[in-house]
Amino acid sequence: MVRRKDKEAQVKKNNVSDARTSRRSFLKGVSIAAAAGSAALVTGCIPGKDALSSEGFSLKWEEYFKKHYRLMTQEEKDQTIARLVKLAKIRHDLDIQMSSRPARENVLYGYAFNISRCEGYMDCVKACVRENNLDRKSKTQYIRIFEMEPGQLDPSTGDGKYFHEVPVDNKFYMGVQCFQCENPPCVKACPTKATWQEPDGIVVVDYDWCIGCRYCMAACPYWGRRFNWGEPEIPREEINTRQHYLGNRIRPRGKVEKCTFCVQRTREGRLPACAEACPTGARVFGNLLDPYSEIRYVLKHKKVFRMKEELGTDPKFWYFID
Amino acid sequence: MKLLLHRTGLFSLASGILLLFCLPAAASDKSIMDRISGADEPFDDSGIKSAYDLALKTVRAQIPYQGGTFKVLTRKDSIDRFRCSVCHTDKIPQARDSTLFTHGDIKINHGREGDGLACADCHHEKERDFLVGKKGESVDFDHSYLLCGKCHFRQLNDWVGGAHGKRVKYWAGERVVNNCATCHNPHSPRFTKRMPATYSLPLDE
Repeated sequence: MVRRKDKEAQVKKNNVSDARTSRRSFLKGVSIAAAAGSAALVTGCIPGKDALSSEGFSLKWEEYFKKHYRLMTQEEKDQTIARLVKLAKIRHDLDIQMSSRPARENVLYGYAFNISRCEGYMDCVKACVRENNLDRKSKTQYIRIFEMEPGQLDPSTGDGKYFHEVPVDNKFYMGVQCFQCENPPCVKACPTKATWQEPDGIVVVDYDWCIGCRYCMAACPYWGRRFNWGEPEIPREEINTRQHYLGNRIRPRGKVEKCTFCVQRTREGRLPACAEACPTGARVFGNLLDPYSEIRYVLKHKKVFRMKEELGTDPKFWYFID
Repeated sequence: MKLLLHRTGLFSLASGILLLFCLPAAASDKSIMDRISGADEPFDDSGIKSAYDLALKTVRAQIPYQGGTFKVLTRKDSIDRFRCSVCHTDKIPQARDSTLFTHGDIKINHGREGDGLACADCHHEKERDFLVGKKGESVDFDHSYLLCGKCHFRQLNDWVGGAHGKRVKYWAGERVVNNCATCHNPHSPRFTKRMPATYSLPLDE
C-alpha cells in the first residue's frame, strides 16, 4: 500500500517535470512515439491486442516487404508461406498447411445451379463459412440464397434473409455467389492489380496487396465481394487449417475477399464446399474444357441462363431448370 | 493544307467506323461459350492422385456414361438389417417378434396421393434380397437406380448424365456418384420441410 502511494507520488513528480520539457527532449519523445506508431502499423494497427514475440515481429516485418504474388518466384512463394505458417503458429498456436498450387492445365472451372432442385436449406452457406474461415462476428457469407416468387428471375425481387421452414410451397430458391466472370469488371477496377483471373478461370485476390478501396465491390454487378471491417473472428477449433494463399487463408483486416470456388479444394480435385454440402444435388461443378464433365452435360442438355448476361461479363455460373 | 486536314479527318472517320464494326466481332470471338464448345479433348486427370483413393464402398454402374463407365455408392452396406432373407424365411414368425419384424416404422409416402405404392411394387416377394421390376425381374439393391428409372426415367437420364444427383467429393478422378437412395428415402422420397442451416443478414448492413 505504501509502495503504491510512493509510486503515485513519483508519477506525479515525473508529470510535473514533463510539463517543463525542453524542445529537444520533446522532439526526442515524439520520434520515439513515431517509431512505436510505425511498429503498431506493421503489427496491423492493434498494439497490445496480439503480443507478438520478437520472432513474430520480424516475420511480420519481412511480410511487409514481399512482392505481389504474381511477381514472386516459386522460391519466394514458399518463403512467404513458411512465414505465414510460422505466424499462425505464434499468433493462434495452430499448425496450418498452406498451399500455393497453381492452376492445372486444360482446366476451366464452371458451375451450374439447378433452381428447380434447390430447397433453400442453406447447408451450402454453412459449409462455405466453415471452409473459408469467414468472419463469424459480422456473419460474412459468400453465398446468398434468395427465396423467389414464381416467374421472377431477378434475385433483387427475392427475399435474401428468410428464416423459416423451407421449402415454402410455390416459391423457389436461387443461390448467388461470385460468378467468376470471364470478363470480370472487378479486376479492371482494382487500382493496385491485387485481384486477377487465374488461368483456370477463378478470380482471386492477393490479400496483402489489396488496399481495401472497395472499387471492385462497386464494379461487381452481382454483389459478389465482401469486405473485412475487422480481423476475422473464428472460434479456434473451427479454423480450417487446410489453406491456400489465394483462397481461404485468414484475411487481414480491411481487405476485400470473395468466393474462389474453394481454390484450396478444387485444385486438389475436390468439389467446392458448397457443392459437397448440398443435400439436394442442386449444385453441379466441373471442368468446362472436359467434354465428358457433368457441367458440359448440363450446358448441352438443359435450359440454362446466366444472370445479367447482357452486361457482357461472361459469368461461368449457369442456372438451369429440370 | 485545308484539303489535307479534311482528308485526314475523313480517313480517321472511316477507320473509326471500321473499328466500330470490328470490335463486337472481336469480343464475340473471345466469348467463353466458343472456348467451351471448342474444347473436345477429354481431360486427363491422372495427375490428381488424391481423387483416386476414395475410401468408399462402390459398385460399377450398369449403365454407360458418355462412352465410359462410372461408379455408384453401394446401398446394401447402408441398410441396417440386410440381408433380408435372414428373417424372411419360410418359418412363420412368432407373434411376440412382430414389432421387430413387421417394419412398423416404415411409412410409405411414395406415388400419387390415394394411389401410393405398396411394398410388393418394389420388393421381390420370393427373392427377399432383391427388388423387383414390373416384369418380375429381380433388381439388385445396389443397382436400385434401374428400378427407380422405370418410372422416373427423366431423372435417370439426368442422373447418368450429371444434371441430377451429385458426385461424391471429387470433380476429378473416376466418376463416383450418389445412388438414388443415398439422398432420397425410397419409402418417402420427397425432401422434408425443415429449418435452414443458417441465415443471412439484410443486404444493406
